[in-house]
Amino acid sequence: MPSTNTAAIEADDLRKRYGSEVALDGVSLSIPTGTVYGFLGPNGAGKTTTMRILTGLSRPSSGTVRVCGVDVADRRALARHVGYLPETPPLYEEFSAREQLEYVADLRDIAGEVADERIDRYLAEFELLDDADRRISEYSKGMKQKTAFVQSVLHDPDVLFLDEPTSGLDPRAARRIRESILAFADAGTTVFLSTHILPVVEAVADEVGVLYEGRLVAEGPPDAVTSRAATGDSGSLEDAFLAVTSGGEDVVDAEETDSGSERV
Amino acid sequence: MSLRADLRHGLRIARAEFVRSVRGYARDRRRLLGLAVAVLFFGGNLLFSLPTAYLLGRTVRSADAIPFLGPAATALPFLLVALAALRTLERIGRPEAEELLLSTVHPRAAVIGLICAEIARLAIWFGLPIAAVVAAFALGLGSATFPLTVAVVVLPLVCWAAVWGYALGIGFLRLFRWLPALGRAAKIGGFLGMLALVLASQSIGRLVADGSFSVRGALDAVTIGPLTEYVAVAFLGTPLSRSLSPVGPGILLLFVALTPLGTAVAARSAKTLWFTDASKPERATRSKTSSGGFAAPRPFAATKPGRIAWGHLVRAVRHPQEFSHLVMIVFFLGPVGTTFVQSSGDALGALAAATGVGLATYLAGATFGLNPLGDDRPQLSLVLLSGTTPRTLVRGRVTAGVAVSAPVAALVPAAALGLGAAPELAGAFAAVGLPMCVAASLFSVGLGASYPIYEEREFWGAETVVPSTLVMVAYLFVVGGGTVIGLLATWFVASGRLTATPLVAGGLSVYVLTTAGVSYGSYRYAVRRYRRYAFD
Ligand SMILES: Nc1ncnc2c1ncn2[C@@H]1O[C@H](COP(=O)(O)OP(=O)(O)O)[C@@H](O)[C@H]1O
Ligand SMILES: [Mg+2]
Repeated sequence: MPSTNTAAIEADDLRKRYGSEVALDGVSLSIPTGTVYGFLGPNGAGKTTTMRILTGLSRPSSGTVRVCGVDVADRRALARHVGYLPETPPLYEEFSAREQLEYVADLRDIAGEVADERIDRYLAEFELLDDADRRISEYSKGMKQKTAFVQSVLHDPDVLFLDEPTSGLDPRAARRIRESILAFADAGTTVFLSTHILPVVEAVADEVGVLYEGRLVAEGPPDAVTSRAATGDSGSLEDAFLAVTSGGEDVVDAEETDSGSERV
Repeated sequence: MSLRADLRHGLRIARAEFVRSVRGYARDRRRLLGLAVAVLFFGGNLLFSLPTAYLLGRTVRSADAIPFLGPAATALPFLLVALAALRTLERIGRPEAEELLLSTVHPRAAVIGLICAEIARLAIWFGLPIAAVVAAFALGLGSATFPLTVAVVVLPLVCWAAVWGYALGIGFLRLFRWLPALGRAAKIGGFLGMLALVLASQSIGRLVADGSFSVRGALDAVTIGPLTEYVAVAFLGTPLSRSLSPVGPGILLLFVALTPLGTAVAARSAKTLWFTDASKPERATRSKTSSGGFAAPRPFAATKPGRIAWGHLVRAVRHPQEFSHLVMIVFFLGPVGTTFVQSSGDALGALAAATGVGLATYLAGATFGLNPLGDDRPQLSLVLLSGTTPRTLVRGRVTAGVAVSAPVAALVPAAALGLGAAPELAGAFAAVGLPMCVAASLFSVGLGASYPIYEEREFWGAETVVPSTLVMVAYLFVVGGGTVIGLLATWFVASGRLTATPLVAGGLSVYVLTTAGVSYGSYRYAVRRYRRYAFD
């Protein structure tokens, strides 16, 4: 494996069983640095399970994962590379947003003035400044989500994992987060984004993977997945999504046919 | 290097967790009230124990003369470890906002943080009062170094206990995950153990009082010598100091040495717990389905309140954790239990029948009635707009309460026949018990509606909306008192000890009218609360 061009996320044949139930059934990923990867799939497909494994929070039944070249079992080395925004924002209701962010900065050993500068900048950017000193228990869902988003990027991670970051948000908050994702991508951050809101993916993703019943049933650039999977010529990502998640067995590998040169 | 980082992060986590706890204590008026009661209680105790400690310090001439020092020294480490293990099982076995902490710091830091925060909480709840008592004692003793030596003895002990208690608690959590049945058994066992403890504490008190049981002898038997030696270190440099054996300082060193080891063990174990999933799913593998639609059986099907009641009962059976608050009754069973132990013959049968009726009136209201608005809250927007009148909704709840309690009120007296209860008495109890259940159920909905609780909390290992303790106690007081009066009257009448004087007739009618009036009024109040309910 070329060490100069290591993939940001390299997962090999991940399997995860809960008792007799198979949540992940041989998922392999190789995502180059700087990619925004849209991870699609219906509810219960295994997106959250995959993310927890990729962030080292859960162990696969078998398979290996390296993020930025670090084995995810090595949590001490991994922590500074990744930021993770789970489905339910991990916030402390008894804190204010500012306290929460300062606490996280402290835990991440970000130097005081750097932390202060970043926190102020992000609070302003996410329109949280006016409420920064109110307790999080009084926040709306959107405000909580924005706070949690900020806390997951406070240390400038190399890889950002976002689990349905915009679901249930109002358009303004959703757009704020979408724009921020693009800004991070421009700055070279790899973003791994799970969602079932297809326009979000169409707007930001360089590459998509569709997970269905624990298996990756399609992968490639959005338009390639669309044209490959769509049966008719209407060709929207939604049609493609519905086509590949309707129970068909074929794995649609968009890049073999359309853009084989996309990847190393 | 990494150890230093983990310690640093751990202390930060501890500080944050502690701040969160303190803010949690003072979150709303209800909690503040509870806090005030606790402070008054502790403060009241101190009013009595501080002078006692002072006087003891003035008069005591040797450490051996301090009452219960040996047994206390023996019990303390065990109690502390048990407390820490229990708290780990219940609360701190996993950090809150787990994903954040575990993707930010090393799990060892999280473990250190949780344990340190727990020690800090322990220090303000128990440390402050104990420090006050120790200070008073030192003042009486006239020794300035005593508080310091106590700290030298207590701190390593507390750290050792907190760390190993945590490791033990995590061990149990892993064991229960591996064997879920064992976890359930432990919960039931814990419940029965508490019941036994309540009963035992009552009987032991009585045995001690009539002198048939020597406390000293029993306690001396369980005293562990080395631990007494350890506590004796605290008296070093005071007038009570005796020649010091090397055992005491040896144990001190042992505690100090075992603390980091315990942290390492706890951290390893917690890591396994946090980063692996249950090998078997924690939830039942059998997927839960129901066949047929919602069809209430015979007596329930006839009326709408009946069908609503059936809905409550079905959900109750499928989610029994909702009713964990019913265990409150344990604390009130003590007196009944001891009376049971001491009674015999026909008294036993009568007592059993009466207890059955008492239990029935408790269940009639406490099961479904004490937090009606809170229980219904998630569905209120549906229910209130469904066109079903509030009266019907409340009646449904009342019916459900009666449905769980009526069988108890009827069957326990019947079973008591086997214990030698007189048939006419058992019959009378059952006959009186049924209307009592209806009254109790009607009363409960109004009482519960007056002080709804909406927020979920963890109670006996289940997330549920639990009725307010205040409401619970008020209910037990009113309904318990009413039931006792009613049953006594029934007993007098049934055993022919009551002649029908105008006074007796008057008293009975007052009782009946009050019961009926209060219950009906309470029910009307509940209906009104439903009718006027507004989301805020
Ligand atoms: N702790 C668990 N125990 C048992 N099954 C689980 C657990 N977590 C997830 N699952 C199962 O794994 C599958 C994938 O879940 P998840 O990753 O949450 O899906 P998604 O995030 O795509 O909606 C689901 O069928 C779910 O029921
Ligand atoms: Mg999910």
